[in-house]
Amino acid sequence: MKTNLKFAAALVAASALVLAGCSSSSDSTESSAAAATSAAAEETMEASAEASAEGDTAAAMLKACEVTDVGGVDDKGFNQKAYKGVTDAADQLGVEATVLESQAETDYATNIQSFVDQGCGVIITVGFLLGDATKEAANANPDTPFTIVDYAYGDGEITNNNVLGQVFNTDEAAFLAGYLAAGTSKTGKVGTFGGVNIPPVTIFMDGFYYGVQKYNADNGTNVKVIGWDPAKQKGLFTENFESLDDGRTFAQNLVDEGADIVMPVAGPVGLGSAALASELGTDKLMIIGVDSDQYESDTANAGVYLTSVLKNMDVTTFNAIQSVVDGTFEGGVTVGTLDNGGVGLAPFHDMDASVPQELKDQLATIQAGIIDGSVSVKG
Amino acid sequence: MSATFEKPPVESYERGEKRTKGLNRSQIRRARISGIVMLLLAAAVAVLFVPNAEGVATFGISTVDDAIQLDALVVPVQATLWAIVLILGFMGASQFVKGFQRRATLILGISFGLFTIAMMVWATAGAEFSLISMLVATVSRCTPIALGALSGVLCERSGVVNIGIEGMLLGGAFSGVVIGSLVGGWVGLLAATLTGGILALLLAVLSVNFRVDQIIIGVVINILVLGLTSFLTAQVLVKNPEWNDAPIFPSIQIPLLSDIPVIGPMFFNQTIIVYGMYVLVASVTYLLFRTRWGLRTRSVGENPRAADSLGVSVAKVRYWAVVSGGLVGGFAGAWFTLGTVGRFDEGMTAGTGFIGLAAMIFGAWNPVGALGAALIFGFAESLEQKFALLDIPIPTEFLAMAPYLVTIVVVAGLVGRARPPAADGQPYTKE
Repeated sequence: MKTNLKFAAALVAASALVLAGCSSSSDSTESSAAAATSAAAEETMEASAEASAEGDTAAAMLKACEVTDVGGVDDKGFNQKAYKGVTDAADQLGVEATVLESQAETDYATNIQSFVDQGCGVIITVGFLLGDATKEAANANPDTPFTIVDYAYGDGEITNNNVLGQVFNTDEAAFLAGYLAAGTSKTGKVGTFGGVNIPPVTIFMDGFYYGVQKYNADNGTNVKVIGWDPAKQKGLFTENFESLDDGRTFAQNLVDEGADIVMPVAGPVGLGSAALASELGTDKLMIIGVDSDQYESDTANAGVYLTSVLKNMDVTTFNAIQSVVDGTFEGGVTVGTLDNGGVGLAPFHDMDASVPQELKDQLATIQAGIIDGSVSVKG
Repeated sequence: MSATFEKPPVESYERGEKRTKGLNRSQIRRARISGIVMLLLAAAVAVLFVPNAEGVATFGISTVDDAIQLDALVVPVQATLWAIVLILGFMGASQFVKGFQRRATLILGISFGLFTIAMMVWATAGAEFSLISMLVATVSRCTPIALGALSGVLCERSGVVNIGIEGMLLGGAFSGVVIGSLVGGWVGLLAATLTGGILALLLAVLSVNFRVDQIIIGVVINILVLGLTSFLTAQVLVKNPEWNDAPIFPSIQIPLLSDIPVIGPMFFNQTIIVYGMYVLVASVTYLLFRTRWGLRTRSVGENPRAADSLGVSVAKVRYWAVVSGGLVGGFAGAWFTLGTVGRFDEGMTAGTGFIGLAAMIFGAWNPVGALGAALIFGFAESLEQKFALLDIPIPTEFLAMAPYLVTIVVVAGLVGRARPPAADGQPYTKE
């Protein structure tokens, strides 16, 4: 049934494609742009070029196809942000954007395969958990460019080197978040929990932990981190990226143990933590968002976010698509850092007044230190 | 099918089994096995926990908001563990030798409880955690499980298997959040409840009138609702975020009762949905076992032909039971959105309906039993989180698994016999 739904979605996509093809091949480029805007919010969406250029046919043929992880494209974080890279490419480069949501881990391979069958020009897979499925598909289709968020393959794993792995030194930005949290906490305890114990999740938690330790070392304080122990690589995990209720109870659990700032690293699960924070009030609990600036994406609870640890996979995904359009695509690994803007700390928004200027200055120093290598985020 | 024929005469017992007079062979075997299990638990505490724990364990038993503040419970680790080893050993030995007969299930339950306490004391040695917050979370988390189980009890007591609880929860959660966002929380709660009822009506029509395999209908309901809500989320909620922003029911303190230490914050400072769960468990128990309606429902579930011959309309009784079960299921669904986060996400019930089904079986198709089972499952989930914080060497995934292992043990019939209604799952054809 689920596959049938996907199939139906694919059918819708296919018919939409035909329609879009008609409209753009008719007379004006504006009509296709209008079609693109109206369809922009759809799960299975189409966007053809608003771009004008005559030699655009090649780009217009190119389909950029994204397979999400189970969180879904509207998770206000991880998957949504990667999808933004695809839609940006649709708007600016005139490629066609298509997305299939994975409802379960068993969908990964089938979704990728259906994109291969559709003849996608580049396939974007979002998430560490799609690593095996992507590798298999890439080796079976050595001429199709793939790019995967949060996975870097070893030498020789991809026979034709047709996969660009996007990895992020998220710990650099999370380090700043930890430093900030330690300086802002009133209870002297800050907490974090993750979705699943996998490297792209725990790298946030590592950075956060060491950032707090750095603050302690600089300021002679003793702020504690609960929910993660980087030495043992053990901590608090919801074991899913879906249950908002888990996000609420896990955050409550951390509050009960004394934390007043919590960083959930579990996709939409963190929205449940934010709901709790807006109920308790920010004097009892503030949330540090992850992936995207959740102050802007989670508007219902915007006030509870102290900041967000940004992981700009929209930029890297966009760049990957652009390289395919330009014909310069190369497999390998691209690393997002504080230095190149691949990761970063979001503005404080409403919380700006509650962060003292001294702490802001310290953060700026630390950020410069991380970039020039004088501050280590590995503890 | 009279049970007396199954019991061999007492004289045929083998040597050494005379002390267990009055028990048949399978009961003796069961007593032996559970005795061994208890002895193993004692040994596990002695070998695994005692050597690795020292000092005291501190459990917080008051929240900051409590009217009466209690000092944290400080427990000497070694002494407590040894006491538990002795009690477990004694109970296990006597269970092995003579059996506790009727109380065997209770004794085994107490043993698992003691083992859990031993594990908590051991894990907390030299540290502290907030026991009270774990207990509060237990009650909150058990609510959808208990309500889901209650939904199952109502249906299955009338002889209709309801595998579709998960779908009813998800449907209730979805319509609850949409109507709740657009109109208000109370109307949302009503809409959630009715959604469950409508889905159950589908189950009733197909199973009673068309005699379709009930398992299949249940599975279809689950998949239908999952697909439909995912589709509507992507097509409607994403475009209209204001439709997915429902008010959350606040916790309500019941005067006086909520001031009782420990019990108060656990049971009497919860949301309206939790209170609804108490009322529903009590009233369904009363209705099923103390009213004419309940007697008819149960008789239809056990032997529809006999009930029919006495003039009870099997179809009508099953319709009532299934639809009321569905209403309970939909009400439970509201807990996910209106009771906790005020927002719907695809597949957010994450299998709770199936856990409810397990709780129903664990609770032997009895509302109070189902609530007890749900509390155990809720406790296990909360304990898992605390243990993850305490950093113990047991993988937390194993702890997450533990309650289901217990369920398998129960369903396999090791502890007593969890017997479903005799006509459960069988369509009735009037001759």
